[in-house]
Amino acid sequence: MNPHVPSPRPTGPAPRTAPVSARPPAVLSLRGVSQSFGAVRALVDVDLDVHAREVVAVVGDNGAGKSTLVGVMSGVTVPDSGEVMLEGVPVQLGSPAVARQLGIATVFQDLALCADLDVVENLFLGHEVRRGPVLDEIAMEREAWRLLAQLAARVPSVRVPVATLSGGQRQAVAIARALLGEPRVVILDEPTAALGVTQTAEVLNLVERLRDRGHGVVLVSHNMADVQAVADRVVVLRRGRLNGDFDADTARYEDIIAAITGASPALSGGSRAAQPRHPRGETS
Amino acid sequence: MAKDRATPGSQTSLREANRARIVSAVQQRGSITQVELSGVTGLSPATISNIVKELALAGVLRTTPTSRSGRRALQVTLARTVGLVAGVHFADRSLRVALADVSHHVVAEQRLPLPREHRADDGLDRAALMIEEMVDALDSTLAEVLAVGVGLPAPVDVRTGQVSAVGLMRGWDGVVVPEVLGRRLGLPVHTDNDANLGTLAEARLGAARGARNAVYVRVAHGVGAGLLLDGRVFHGRSGAAGELGHVPVVDDGLECRCGGRGCLETVVGAPALLARLRPTHGHLTLRDVVTRALDGDEACREVVTDAGTHLGVAIAAVCAIVDPELVVVGGELAHAGALLLRPLDVALAARVMTSTAGPVAVTASALGDQAEVRGALALALDAYQVGSAMPVGVVRS
Repeated sequence: MNPHVPSPRPTGPAPRTAPVSARPPAVLSLRGVSQSFGAVRALVDVDLDVHAREVVAVVGDNGAGKSTLVGVMSGVTVPDSGEVMLEGVPVQLGSPAVARQLGIATVFQDLALCADLDVVENLFLGHEVRRGPVLDEIAMEREAWRLLAQLAARVPSVRVPVATLSGGQRQAVAIARALLGEPRVVILDEPTAALGVTQTAEVLNLVERLRDRGHGVVLVSHNMADVQAVADRVVVLRRGRLNGDFDADTARYEDIIAAITGASPALSGGSRAAQPRHPRGETS
Repeated sequence: MAKDRATPGSQTSLREANRARIVSAVQQRGSITQVELSGVTGLSPATISNIVKELALAGVLRTTPTSRSGRRALQVTLARTVGLVAGVHFADRSLRVALADVSHHVVAEQRLPLPREHRADDGLDRAALMIEEMVDALDSTLAEVLAVGVGLPAPVDVRTGQVSAVGLMRGWDGVVVPEVLGRRLGLPVHTDNDANLGTLAEARLGAARGARNAVYVRVAHGVGAGLLLDGRVFHGRSGAAGELGHVPVVDDGLECRCGGRGCLETVVGAPALLARLRPTHGHLTLRDVVTRALDGDEACREVVTDAGTHLGVAIAAVCAIVDPELVVVGGELAHAGALLLRPLDVALAARVMTSTAGPVAVTASALGDQAEVRGALALALDAYQVGSAMPVGVVRS
């Protein structure tokens, strides 16, 4: 497997839509991505842009296609059609490992942490730092503290089993692990689900810090309060289609909810989803 | 012994009054050395030493050896066993909750980003949950919490605790926070405007320590100010004193959320600053503007320095009326440091009457983002008379 590694900045053709502002091209772009599972069309012709230093929230009802979209961006699912581009260069995200190598790190909802292992072991599981034949525990521990400090995460010790940590702290460990390869985009799938309000606060602070460090962040969430608190842009999925792209500073809560439920087609500039009108109450 | 009323003017009543004065001085400042205590209360060092020793034995105060300017000194704090207080600061885009012991020592703090135009019911519910969870994390119970102080980014009538402004915070008009939150938590709750609490904190623990007259300006999403007059925070008729953000500065200017036109906030509030940068920089947050300005982005620097100048002009008017010793600038935009403060200082100095007392000092907040929540803690501590739970008479003023 030889992933097509993009050059740091596209030198040839300019990005397809020359922006009016001096804004650099999106770090991660999806163009016309579609994915079907049998007769179910999970994603239909989805476009999405994620810029550096930007939190893009993806919201939508159950079955709207959020998880499939996360799958496509994290390399778990290879879409039936459409393009994935990194800084304007088309790439093939054949597997999660490739996606990671290209700088897209995903923190899945189950966090995929080993409860019995301590924080350092979890962070470096599978890519331990070695010095000669032995593990370089000191270097790993130092790096673990550095990553957690960057996130200003409050973890009592990096040598305690993850099982003893709170939900928010576990989330912090999972995000720290995602930061190991200095990714450009971090995808967080429902990071505040099943957390108390204090831990939610912790995670939302982490999201802000990721953004301020220059990462592009994709935040998939059900919770509109969380989304509107930290997102720069809110993208709405409905029945696998893009049903709205809102500036979080100006969009009203009611408009976003309307786009999620399909109460009215609320399209703003930038999205080209052609959504047939679904009158209220018409459900399959 | 405090129970049996001493004859006024007697030795006993004098001693009782001195004890109360010392406890309240320690309570206000959190931790203070014996020498400073003598300066603050005006009592002789010998009296202080005797009374502190007595109160330490009684378990009211705690002394720890320390050093001040190279000399040995005794640091005096309230004994930890007395309980906890909670401070809550609602800002336009965040909620900050802190727990402190009675010596102003912050033992837990958490910040929750909030959506734009967050609502009162949801916000207060989350604040209550956060207090509960944080108290729980300290292996403590709500029963140990003595009082809660709440700061809001709108004028608050401190007698009733009601948000007295109409239209400033959508969904918060007329909400009586002490009632709602008090019912939810079963605790005494006290409310004030956040800039007023910032003023209180800076005067007690921060940059305005020792000042009798000071102006605290909070420049964040909105703009607010607090006035320290003759050592007390000034509230006015219904808590709207110091609403600097809603002083008209532009004739027939932009419409403001308060219903007026051309208010200072329409010029230096976050929405105004971000709108200026939107054509060139796209979507930004106030945090981004400060970081980029510090990193040398020309447009962002210009926006921040212009804001400084506008603020300086507006503060000059305040200075003409209250003649403060110093102006303390806090809030998120104050993170820009000299970029904001220097033009502010220049604009202010050019407009303030020359005085034999010299120019008005301008300084950045010493407590930073914590100022308001520390003020909320101070409010809670003040409201809870620590003296009443202890064998110390309380001075009735």
